[in-house]
Order: sequence, then C-alpha cells, then structure tokens
Amino acid sequence: MVGLSEGEKHFIRGGIAQDLRTDGRRRLQFRAISVETGVIPQANGSARVRLGATEVIATVKAELGKPSILHPDKGKVSIFVDCSPTAAPMFEGRGSEEFSAELCVALQRCLLGGKSGAGAAIDLSSLIVVDGKVCWDLYIDGLVVSSDGNLLDALAAAIKVALSDTGIPKVNVSLSATTDEEPEVNVSDEEFLQFDTSSVPVIVTLTKVGKHYIVDATSEEESQMSSAVSVSVNRHGQIRGLTKRGGAGLDPSVIFDMISVAKHVSRQFISVLDSETLAAEAAE
Amino acid sequence: MEYVNPLTGFRVDGRRPNEMRQLKGEVGVVARADGSALFEMGNTRVIAAVYGPREVQNKGQQVNSKDALVRCEYRMADFSTGDRRRKPKGDRRSTEISLVIRQTMEASILTHLMPRSQIDIFVQVLQADGGTRAACINAATLALADAGIPMRDIVTSCSAGYLCSTPLLDLNYIEDSAGGPDVTVGFLTKMDKVTLLQMDAKLPMDTFETVMDLAIEGCKAIANYIREVLLENTRRLECQRG
Repeated sequence: MVGLSEGEKHFIRGGIAQDLRTDGRRRLQFRAISVETGVIPQANGSARVRLGATEVIATVKAELGKPSILHPDKGKVSIFVDCSPTAAPMFEGRGSEEFSAELCVALQRCLLGGKSGAGAAIDLSSLIVVDGKVCWDLYIDGLVVSSDGNLLDALAAAIKVALSDTGIPKVNVSLSATTDEEPEVNVSDEEFLQFDTSSVPVIVTLTKVGKHYIVDATSEEESQMSSAVSVSVNRHGQIRGLTKRGGAGLDPSVIFDMISVAKHVSRQFISVLDSETLAAEAAE
Repeated sequence: MEYVNPLTGFRVDGRRPNEMRQLKGEVGVVARADGSALFEMGNTRVIAAVYGPREVQNKGQQVNSKDALVRCEYRMADFSTGDRRRKPKGDRRSTEISLVIRQTMEASILTHLMPRSQIDIFVQVLQADGGTRAACINAATLALADAGIPMRDIVTSCSAGYLCSTPLLDLNYIEDSAGGPDVTVGFLTKMDKVTLLQMDAKLPMDTFETVMDLAIEGCKAIANYIREVLLENTRRLECQRG
C-alpha cells in the first residue's frame, strides 16, 4: 500500500470535518454490509461478512471436553483470530501475530465476559453435558481475508452471524452405576441445538480524526486517526466491553459522547445485520 | 472399508474412478490484491492472492538481477481441517508446500520480463478435504492470470491414487487417508510438460504410469475449466469497459 501524501491527508481530514468523506459517506454511516452463512461446511457454524472491501470469515467448532475445575457447571469458549497474508503482504510469516493478538484480546473482552463467565454472550451453562465431567468446548475462529479498515467490527459481526448459524449436536448420556467412571456419551447425527444470539453484541468502533469521530473507518481514514474507541453493545442497549486504541489521549467527556453515539448507531447496525442474516440463512 | 464398490464401480462419494470433484473458480475475491482467486475442488476451498510485480523488499533474497523473484507462502486456517488444529506459522509441511508451489509457478512465469522485481503469491486454505496442494496450485494460477502476470502456459495440478486395484482421480480426504499411493502432478497443458511430480507409498512402475496418465488427464480437464473462467472474466471486463 502506497503511503498518503500530505495533500491527501489534508483532504481526508477536511472532508471528515465537513461531514463528507472520500467515498461520500457521512460521519456516522457504515459501508454496505453483505452476509453469507454456511461457507465452511465442515464447521458447526460459519459466516462470511463483507464490509466494503473488508472481508472476514468466522467459524464455530464444537468439541466434547472436560469442564474447568473452577467452573464445573459451565462449558468453555475460546476465540482465535488470524490475519491471512492474502489481506496484505505485511501479514506474511509472523507479521500478523501482533495485530491478530490485539484483535483477539479485544474480541475476548467483548464476548467472553469476565473470569467468572458472567456477562458472556452465550449462556455457558447450556454447554454442559454432564456436570464436572463432560462439556462442549466452543472454538471460535476469525480469519481476515481482505483488509480495508474496521476489522474489529467486521469480525464481531461475523462471529455473531456464525453463532446464529451454529448447530450443536444433541448428546444423550447413559450414566454408569459407578459415579467416578467416565460417562458414555452418544452424539446425535439428527438433532441439533441452536443458540439464542439475541444477547450477542456487535462492536462499533468510533475513530477520532481531527476534532470529529467517525464510524466504520477505511484504511486511509484509520491512518489519520489519533485514537479509537470500540464499544460492544447488544440488542438491549447494554454495553459489554470497551477498548481504546491509538496513542493520543482522549478527554473523558468525549468518551462519554462516543459511548452514547455508539449505542445509538448500533441499533441500526444490529437491525441491518439481523435482516441480512435472515436473508442469508433463507438463501442457504 | 470398500473405497470402490465392486458391483457398481462407484466411489464413496458417488463418483466414478475417473471423475473429478465439482470445480468452482472465481477471480477478484480480494479487493486490494493485484490478482486474487477462489478455487474449490469439492469441499477443498482455497484463496490465493498475488501482489506484484513490485520492488524487491529484501535485497538479500534476490538471486540475480535478470529475473523476477517469486515468493510464495502457504497458510492453512486453524478451522480448515475436520479436527481443529492450531499450527505454528512456518511448520515443516507448510514450508514444503510453499516451496513446491513456488517452483511450480516459477516454471510458468516469464520472470525475465520483470528484472529486479518481486512477485508474492499468498495461498490460504479455508477448508481441506484432500488434494490441497493441487487446489492451491490451481488457485495460484488463476490469481496470477487475474494479476496480469505474463505466463508461458496455464499450470494446473491434480492428484490421483490407486485403491482396490483401481486408479482413482482426484482423491478426497477419505481416499487420501486410506493409506494407498497418492500421485500429485503439476502440468503445463499446451506445452505438454510436467512441472510437479510427487508420489508417496509403494506402487509398481506400470501401475504408476497408469495413475500418472490419469492425473495428467485431470490436469487437462482443470485447464479447460480455468480457461473458461478466464474467458468469462475477460468478457465481463470487456462489457464493463463498454
């Protein structure tokens, strides 16, 4: 990617100041989003989300495992993010590890809740098969295929759609007489359980450029940012996580403004995403 | 387990021994790459992106100043296999496949037309169901053509095997795991030259010739399909230009 000249940088900042960005959007307007489900048939659930030229794939895989000793009545969920070198040559080799880790931790903070599992997007108790012995381990993988800014929002949207596409096989358990033996589990091929994704949040990132902030920044706009605040909001308007990126400091009152604007903008984003999800699942 | 039904002659997925899996190719899937392609062979899905020709980033890798430097990286997504597997970047298998793809594409790219430059090929496996490296080579060929890199010929690749005394074309994962021989051929169809040949397990020479001929026939069929995809893409570009 060629760097921007001073004139281009000035043009981008001037456009944002006048509420007219280089692609004609306003400050609080998203790019067109397109959703596709079932793109990876081998996974329990998968989705591909395209946000302008940014394209990400999210998959959910479920495996039977042993519950954690700390929480024997809850299943386990892990999130991993990888940036493919097809998105940008700088992700070649180990070049994407730092950036992937940053995205991964931000997503974990927004989706998995705290150490106690409270506030998690999915009801972890529904993943238990046998208390203390058998549970479902969910592995959520995000893969960035094409990168044009705003990866965090696209990844969170893709994970939300992938979770609504997920089918977990039903497990029938026949307990043996001896309690300390491993229970015998029979995984069904016909019956599937699906998640209630109404509480799964989306992430809205507000990027500060000059004296204003914008949603859904492209790569060029992100290169002009001083800082960015990512707010994770669910359908009920509850905030589930916050992340600030970028080196410049922010005035606290500006942060409160950003949070309220993110809650407002996320309402429309969630409804658009839900309608796109229903259309994609109908087309599948 | 019977991999070929002795009565009907069908395979486990309903194909005949010399039948390919369903192919699907799509160009221009990564917006910011110079060339990109998505290639599917049955349930094996691969994305390839090409960046370049551009200035050499690391002068130490440049062998000479008369030819372009071709580099390739092969990457498998963690979710791409049936059982989830987390692999470190640059493990042995990925390094070997990257080298194989690079050598195969180098045979086709007219590197002498682009001195002191660098062509990067990135291949990402989204789903693996057997025949992964063949699908990667096919995706890379489509991506290079999309990027407008001058090539001698279309490189295609196909695998073939030998199970239940029958040569089989385009193995899937189940047949690949059966322990029989696996022959992978990379082929320049118009020039009638082999640019890649790999085989594992034991195979008598006369049977090997039969299996290799079958793989070459598969490469020719894939080349026909790739040519159709490129022609369709060219027609669409022509219409857009008006």
